[in-house]
Amino acid sequence: MSKIKAESTSLLNRIVNRIRGVSRLSPTATAGVLVILFFGVLAMFSGGFMTHDPVSSYPDRILEAPSAEHWFGTDGNGMDVFSRVIYGAKFGFGVAIPAVIISVLIGVPVGLIAGYRGGLLDEVLMRFFDGLRVFPSIILALAVVAATGQSLINVVLVLGFLDSPVFARVVRSEVLALRSSIFVESAIAAGNPTWRILFVHLLPNSIQGAMAQTAVRAAWAVRISATLAFLGVGIQAPTPEWGAMIRQGAEFMITGQWWVGIFPGVALIFLVFGLNLFGDGIQDVLDPRRRTEK
Amino acid sequence: MVIPLLVGVMFLTFMLVRIGGLDPVGLLAGPTATAEEFEIITEELGLDQPLWKQFLIYAQNVAQGDLGESWLSNRPVLDDIAARSVVSLELLFWGIGIGTFIGVPIGLRAAFKPNGRFDQSTRILSLLGFSIPTYWLGLVMLFVFFYLLRWAPPGMGRISLMVSPPDFVTGSYLIDSLLSSNWRAAYSSLSHPILPVICLAIVSAAPIIKQTRAIALEVISSDAVRYARACGLKVKTVRQIVFRNSATPVLTFIGTEITGLVGTMSLIEYVFAWGGLGQYGLNAIVRGDFTAVQGYVLVLALFSVLIFLIVDIVVALIEPRVELN
Repeated sequence: MSKIKAESTSLLNRIVNRIRGVSRLSPTATAGVLVILFFGVLAMFSGGFMTHDPVSSYPDRILEAPSAEHWFGTDGNGMDVFSRVIYGAKFGFGVAIPAVIISVLIGVPVGLIAGYRGGLLDEVLMRFFDGLRVFPSIILALAVVAATGQSLINVVLVLGFLDSPVFARVVRSEVLALRSSIFVESAIAAGNPTWRILFVHLLPNSIQGAMAQTAVRAAWAVRISATLAFLGVGIQAPTPEWGAMIRQGAEFMITGQWWVGIFPGVALIFLVFGLNLFGDGIQDVLDPRRRTEK
Repeated sequence: MVIPLLVGVMFLTFMLVRIGGLDPVGLLAGPTATAEEFEIITEELGLDQPLWKQFLIYAQNVAQGDLGESWLSNRPVLDDIAARSVVSLELLFWGIGIGTFIGVPIGLRAAFKPNGRFDQSTRILSLLGFSIPTYWLGLVMLFVFFYLLRWAPPGMGRISLMVSPPDFVTGSYLIDSLLSSNWRAAYSSLSHPILPVICLAIVSAAPIIKQTRAIALEVISSDAVRYARACGLKVKTVRQIVFRNSATPVLTFIGTEITGLVGTMSLIEYVFAWGGLGQYGLNAIVRGDFTAVQGYVLVLALFSVLIFLIVDIVVALIEPRVELN
């Protein structure tokens, strides 16, 4: 018994040491993780933090300034801004995580195949991706969401799809470099089928760069989905989504009721900033060239 | 290379707006329209034709410089776009110009002392710049500088409602009012762009800082710079060499950034009711104005291609290793 206990504490110690080591390696990434965790807890246990129901309106308390009762004040519908900001964290994660997963699931296989096969397929795909780059991402996302239907699920699908070229490009360039290496050649010589070479041999060796991108792309997804909601496309008020809330607060900004629009914006900035910090730190740690700069 | 890209862009947007759930006929006809009225409008817009025929007609018109008429305002899309382009270009020019003048020196300085205090703090600041939603920044600026301090004019257009705009020459209120020496209009059209330009400059500076730093770091670790250092050149001279060698990639990067900034600019125009091309495009997309969306997207693609061309030319001018052919 005692031996097991000793082992488990040493395991705990190892974990703590490991975290310490990582956080020393990249303080920015650690700061980012803390911010993300903070919002993650808010999103998961939002019921415990909200002081009011986020969508029930108090008609006699329209546009009240922050007070002990309504910490962030109330909006034009008389809804509690604090509770709405807390609830909004759910949308941040609810859009970003599935969107990035979709991007990875589309982008990585496309990059693998394009890089490995090369030829016409690769050429056409890369030209198509180049063509997409002519447009600002927000315009593209706006047009596709407006054209294909305005629902939360659709926003997630469109963002996931539009961002998949990022992962395809990264994986493709890795695969191009690895394609003619000895381990691939020996795998071919040993008679492995193509899918096995792609997904068992090449995938683990080329995925790192793509994974380093995920946090930054999640930040992008949170930002763009909020922008869409701000423009009144996709998620609409009175849904407690941050972008939609800023849209509601826009008209009150020049009449002095700043709390309606400022608080959701601050929350949005912090979550995106946290994701960007984490992403930037991760890229620093993973990119050997950037690490040796010191 | 350019023509297939433009045709591809045309085809994709054409299909996108049509296959989607937008219903321009319903929007135009209104809720009380009869089935007959629906048919007439459908016919007028040419929507009763098969898709491939619609596209051919559209492509033919575009080739002759006719982008069609807006289905909602019945005005030629080309005229609308031409009138608004100058307005947007003005905003874009100042925003990116100032963003570059802030971003490049900061990025260079950060690279000269990597991981120093200046580098760390500008890195955090530029990450913050990446994270701030443009439209929110614009709203906060309006709140602070218009509502609280009363320094700035309200975010309602390019010139005060009390001042009559100058006669149309170039489309830019500032240039036009200076040309006609209308000082009141000049002052008003100078004070209105300040907030939107600052917004755009802040947002455009963040990626420029990050990229300039990365490029300069690479140049610093190059053999050429190491040799210059080994020769014992003065720090100032070495820095000049670094700047000179970073100029080309930085410029290329800014060129690609401009495309992305058109989206940012559209949002700023939306917040400040700027009435430029960006706002026009956003409205057209949201309202399902097919012809306007197609025209806007096409002009956007053309603009990107033009920017890349200009960057190529400038690079060839400042870079002795590249030759124009």
